[in-house]
Amino acid sequence: MTVPVIHRDTATEVFFDSTARGELLIRHCADCGAHAAPQSGACPVCQNPVTAWAAAAGTGTVVAWTAVHGRPGDGAPASEAVSALIELTEGPWLYAPLRNLGPGERPWTGMSVVVAFERPEGGEAIPVFRPTV
Amino acid sequence: MTTDTARGPVIAGLGITETGKVYGRSAADFAADAVRRAADDAGLTLSDIDGLLTSSGVMPGVGLSLQTELGLRDLRLLSEMQAYGSTAGGMVQYAAMAVRAGMAEAVACVFADAPLKEKTSAGALYSGAGLGTSGWMGLTAAAGMISATPQYAVAARRHMDTYGTTSEQLAHIAVAQRAWAGMNPRAQFHDPITVEDHQASRLIAEPLHLLDCCLVSNGGVAVIVTTAERAAHLRKPPVHLLGWAQAHPGYPMNRDSDLGLVSGAAQAGPAALKMAGVTIEDVDVAELYDCYTFTVLLTLEDYGFCAKGEGGAFAASGALAPGGSLPVNTGGGQLSSYYLWGMTPLSEAVIQARGEAGERQVSRHDVVLVSGNGGCFAHHSTLVLSPHARA
Ligand SMILES: [Zn+2]
Repeated sequence: MTVPVIHRDTATEVFFDSTARGELLIRHCADCGAHAAPQSGACPVCQNPVTAWAAAAGTGTVVAWTAVHGRPGDGAPASEAVSALIELTEGPWLYAPLRNLGPGERPWTGMSVVVAFERPEGGEAIPVFRPTV
Repeated sequence: MTTDTARGPVIAGLGITETGKVYGRSAADFAADAVRRAADDAGLTLSDIDGLLTSSGVMPGVGLSLQTELGLRDLRLLSEMQAYGSTAGGMVQYAAMAVRAGMAEAVACVFADAPLKEKTSAGALYSGAGLGTSGWMGLTAAAGMISATPQYAVAARRHMDTYGTTSEQLAHIAVAQRAWAGMNPRAQFHDPITVEDHQASRLIAEPLHLLDCCLVSNGGVAVIVTTAERAAHLRKPPVHLLGWAQAHPGYPMNRDSDLGLVSGAAQAGPAALKMAGVTIEDVDVAELYDCYTFTVLLTLEDYGFCAKGEGGAFAASGALAPGGSLPVNTGGGQLSSYYLWGMTPLSEAVIQARGEAGERQVSRHDVVLVSGNGGCFAHHSTLVLSPHARA
C-alpha cells in the first residue's frame, strides 16, 4: 500500500515544503496561542486568521479509524487500507493512513501513533502514522 | 382566514420522475420533467410558477438555465442552491419565507441528478467525487478519505467506541427500511433482508457494510410551495409547513469536535418543532436523511426520539419498522428506494402527509418530521409538515 501522487497548490506550498524535509506543520494562532489543523484559515478558539506555522511534535493518538476494502481481483485478496483520524498532541486533527500494522490488525481509539513520511515518485511527501513502539 | 394563516406556506404539488436505472437522460432533463409533473400534480400551469429554486447533485446542469428550458417568464425569484443533502429542505424553507412575505406566489423547488451510466459501477461514480489530487483535498484523499463513505465510517466508529453502538444495531435500520421498501412501487429494492444478510454483505469501509450504504439513482423531484390561500383552490390537499430550521455545526478539526457524536439535528430539530408548536412526542412519522444507516441513528438521537447513545438499542427494538412505534423512512429511504439527496425524505413525507402512500400509509400522519443532511454531518435542515394548518 502506497500513498497516491498528490500535487501542491498555492495554499499548500509551505506545508509540502515541510513534509519534503520530514516535518509536519500545523497552524499557530499569534493572538491566543492555540494550535489549528494545517488547512485551517481561522483559529478554532478566537477565530482570528491564522497565518503562522508551527512544527508539530509528530505524535498523537487515534480518535477513530476505518479500513477501506477494495474489491477482490482475479485470485488476489481484496486490499484493506487502514486510515485514522489522528489527534495530534497539540490538539489539531488530521486524517492519515496508518502503517506498520500486521495483516488484519486494527488500531484502537486512544492508540499512540507517531508520524512518518512517504514520497511517491512524482508526488508530494504525505504524512502517515505508525504505532508508537 | 387571517392574513397570517392565509399566507401560511404549504406544499401543493409533488413531481417525481422515473427513478433508478433510467439511462440516456441528463440531469436538466429530469429536472424539467419533475417541475412539469409537480405543477400538474398541483393543478397549476407553468405560467402560474413565479419562483424557481434549483439544485444539482453529482452531475451539474440543474441551474438557472432551467428557466429557459421550461420557458418560464417573469420569475420573481430564481436561484441555484447548494448545501448538499440539506439543500432540498433549505429550498423549501426559502420558498416558504418568500411566499409568506408576498415575494412570490408559487415557487418550484427542484433537484435532479443523473450519475448512473450503463455498465459503470455505482460505487465508482461517487468514489472521489469532489475530491481532487491536489492541495488540501488531495491530502485528505491521500489519507484514504476517498469518498464520503470512509468519513462516515470514521464518524460511526467514534459513536461505537463512545456509546457501544454495534454494526448489528445499524443492520436493524437497513432491515426496517427494506421492509418499508417492499410496499413502495417506486423502490429500487423490494426483497426483504435480514440482520444476517447485512452482516454478510461485503465491508466497504469498516464498520460500514454494503447494506449500510445508500444506493445510487438517476431522476428528479420537484415540489411547489405556495400559500394556504392559493392551495385551497388547487387540486391536491395542501401539506402545511409548520416549522423549519437549519444547523451547520462547523466542526473544528481538533479535539473540541463533536463529529460522530452530535449532529446539527440537535439544534435544528428542537428549533423546527418549537416553531411548529409541537413536541417530539407529537411526531407521527419521521423521514430521515439516510445516506448511511448511521446517519439515521445519529439523527434519531439528536432529534430526541431516544436518549444520546441509545440510538442503537432504539433501532434494534424494531421501533422503526412497519408496525413499530415510530415509522421511519416509510418509502424505504435512500438505502432501498431511490437516492435523490434531500428530496428522498421530503417526497415520502409529502406522500405520507397527504395519505397517498397506499399499502405503506401510516395511520397517524398529523405531524411529519423531515431531515436533510449534507457533507459529513456538516449541514442539516429540518421541516415539520402536517395536513393541518397550525391550530
Ligand atoms: Zn486564537
